[in-house]
Amino acid sequence: MNDFLKSLAISSSGLKAQSGRILTISENVANADSLPTKRGDLPYQRKIARFERKFDAELGAETVKLGRVAKDRTPFVQKLDPGHPAADANGYVQTPNVNPLIETMDLAQAQTSYQAGLNAIKATRSMMQATLGILRV
Amino acid sequence: MEMSGDLPIFSALKAKMHWNQSRQKLLAENVANADSVGFKPRDLKSFSKTYAATGALQAVSLTMTASTHLAGYDQLSGFSGNKGLDFETVPSGNSVNLEDQMTKLAENQMDYQSAITIYTKSMNYLKIALGKGK
Repeated sequence: MNDFLKSLAISSSGLKAQSGRILTISENVANADSLPTKRGDLPYQRKIARFERKFDAELGAETVKLGRVAKDRTPFVQKLDPGHPAADANGYVQTPNVNPLIETMDLAQAQTSYQAGLNAIKATRSMMQATLGILRV
Repeated sequence: MEMSGDLPIFSALKAKMHWNQSRQKLLAENVANADSVGFKPRDLKSFSKTYAATGALQAVSLTMTASTHLAGYDQLSGFSGNKGLDFETVPSGNSVNLEDQMTKLAENQMDYQSAITIYTKSMNYLKIALGKGK
């Protein structure tokens, strides 16, 4: 494998990791209002995508891959809603620890990094094409 | 092509293109790890420095005495990585600056393109000398 193909493989590992991260973010956003159904149950707990650096011996470089998804340990938000089936003795319901603002910023960051990876692929591709262009003269 | 390999301009261009390829790989690695914890971006030493020192780019690496041995991490086709000063380091220990990397990518691409253009031009001169050029 030449260095250009290796560059493409490394960049695509980055893209894959970022799209996995976007998946986790959309899961969090979708479940931002997933409340427990009965007393004592827990609401949806925010998930955090983690990146793992992995040394690829064939590429001779560090690629990135999605590691195990971690749970956010921020305490759940307490909301007063005595009528809710999951409300405790004091009338409070535990709601997910998802903060839409954080998810939005996370999504923006993932998008930027994805775009950057895509740019790297485009640059590599045009360099490969230029190399092939030598033959055409 | 055997003859052209002996011409200094062709061997210099070949080395330059090789350098650009290796740099592209490092930049791709930096961009892919833009959000990895504790990752430090790497870059190559400038081509002129590397090339002036040896007059040619030679691969320097550990000798592998068995086929199962892995090549060292820093065996970048004989180029030594240059860590340089980081622009900023975020709390996770990552110091990749995407803007910086994008500029380097564009710069590398332009460099490579110019090497290719000079290569093609020089090839044309050879053709003219042979009486086949226009």
